Amino acid sequence: MSLLELKNITKRYGNLKALDNVNLKVEQGEWVAIMGPSGSGKSTLMNIIGCMDKPTEGEVLLDGADIAKVSDKELTAIRRDKIGLVFQQFHLVNYLTALENVMVSQYYHSIPDEEEALMALERVGLKDRAKHLPSQLSGGEQQRVCIARALINHPEIILADEPTGNLDEANENIVLDIFRQLHKEGATLVVVTHDPEVGEIAERLIILEHGVIKSETKSSAADDAVIK
Amino acid sequence: MTKRKMFIRMITASLTRRRSRMLVALLAIAVGATILSGLVTIYYDVPRQMGAQFRNYGANMIFTSAESDKDFSRDNIEEAAAVISSGDMVGMTPYRYETVRIHEQPIVAAGMDVEGAKITSPYWHVEGEWPSSPNEALVGEEVAALLGLSTGDTFNALYTPREDEETEEDVLNMGVDMTVSGILNTGGSEEEYVYMSMEDLESIVGGDPRFDLVELSVSASQEKLTSYVDTISGGDFGVSAKLVKRVTQSESTVLTKLQALVFLVTAVVLILTMICVATTMTAVVTERRKEIGLRKALGASDKSIIKEFMGEGLLLGGIGGIIGAVLGFLLAQFVSTRVFSSSIAFQPLILPATIIISILVTGISCFLPVRSAIEVDPALVLKGE
Repeated sequence: MSLLELKNITKRYGNLKALDNVNLKVEQGEWVAIMGPSGSGKSTLMNIIGCMDKPTEGEVLLDGADIAKVSDKELTAIRRDKIGLVFQQFHLVNYLTALENVMVSQYYHSIPDEEEALMALERVGLKDRAKHLPSQLSGGEQQRVCIARALINHPEIILADEPTGNLDEANENIVLDIFRQLHKEGATLVVVTHDPEVGEIAERLIILEHGVIKSETKSSAADDAVIK
Repeated sequence: MTKRKMFIRMITASLTRRRSRMLVALLAIAVGATILSGLVTIYYDVPRQMGAQFRNYGANMIFTSAESDKDFSRDNIEEAAAVISSGDMVGMTPYRYETVRIHEQPIVAAGMDVEGAKITSPYWHVEGEWPSSPNEALVGEEVAALLGLSTGDTFNALYTPREDEETEEDVLNMGVDMTVSGILNTGGSEEEYVYMSMEDLESIVGGDPRFDLVELSVSASQEKLTSYVDTISGGDFGVSAKLVKRVTQSESTVLTKLQALVFLVTAVVLILTMICVATTMTAVVTERRKEIGLRKALGASDKSIIKEFMGEGLLLGGIGGIIGAVLGFLLAQFVSTRVFSSSIAFQPLILPATIIISILVTGISCFLPVRSAIEVDPALVLKGE
């Protein structure tokens, strides 16, 4: 059974079909990139995968449970337990330190554990920046805090929306290296991106256009990159 | 770390690290609470303050003899006066009136307790001095004009006994020499009299001490004054007590109007303050919509977000309330000193009431925008920008 399975997903906003009969399977440990021009339905697809929205039609099976039919409250609980979100704008709470930002995720999930949060920051190479506020961190560092926050509760899927969109090349490479490492450790990654370079290093690249999947290509670049 | 510790850590971080924002909110709450507690303190203290002010308009109660043809003694007066609690009693002056001849003119001489008169008739305007030693008199302006007397002059006061009265020969013939210590100007009938100490009058007229009238200045509400009067007149004191209606009624009317005015101002200011606090808190919450969206995306339940924002709001309301309660008392004290020239009484209940109201107002002001903010779709808030 796939970790995530989208069956005949359609999402309508009024007369507009943002997604039209999309079928997609994501296996455990897979690294999938979703690309497409603006208005192709990427964000809608990401919101549905990220349990932030429900489709108008179709089934979304996450770990075998259909999230298209659950209440908003249950959807929140599923998002909390199974999804780790990485944002283009990082979205850190600006008055909390890097460490506290990671702990916020633990706070909503279960019990805050400072040690564990510190380890997550160490994993993204920011242990020594734990007590810094977001305003004292560079964009790349903020994105790494965001990734540490996404990882902290051991989610089933790490869903990243344009994770490198606001970063320079050096920081982009750092972030992608972290993704490679996560992938190697068996994490399931879904990355929505504009950037062909980011898209191409995924195991599977899905091109979305006008709400339908236009193409799907497999590559072994992800593993190669890690080996490199 | 427990969830509770993390909760406290987040709230305190929000308050201490977002200092400028929080100071604005705190300022709005503290100013509101200051005005509220200040005005309410003044509202409750107005009757006391105004009562003291009204005592400047002179006596508001008089004692006369219960039987018109019978004099009353100092014992009668003291027993009757004991009915009035010492806290309410401002001053008391007994008077005795006798007609004497000065420069061959019949003039009414009034014997009084000079120190008492200074308190019960504070509006008397004296040119010169109040009588302070024996054989000094305060001469009413009209009498002074009639007799051509001015401060420092001396005059002879001779008693003319009533037909049925027996008087010692020497008193009758010699009279007593008096010095004018001051001229009394009141704009009223007092200007037609000559005032002196009770002892001086007794030395002019001779005979046993007696009293015609006692003026009292009592600081109490209309109801309490009425009850004093009823108790004294109804009791067996040989004294008939009456209220000086002109004074007590205008006092009561002015007081009611003034309190209504302060109440109205307090209510309007309270409403304005609540709107101001609500607007500030709404702005503070609204600018954190994105944070609310983020917390939702991280899996926070609506309840949890409301709890965090309300925790912050209530803490802020409490701190603002405490600051406001203290500053409000100082404000009331300042106003009281400026307007009434006296310090204000501390109302212990206003302190907790101000804090509770601050917390409630801030709580409501936070709750409404937070409730609408949690409706936000996390996907929309986090996307874009």
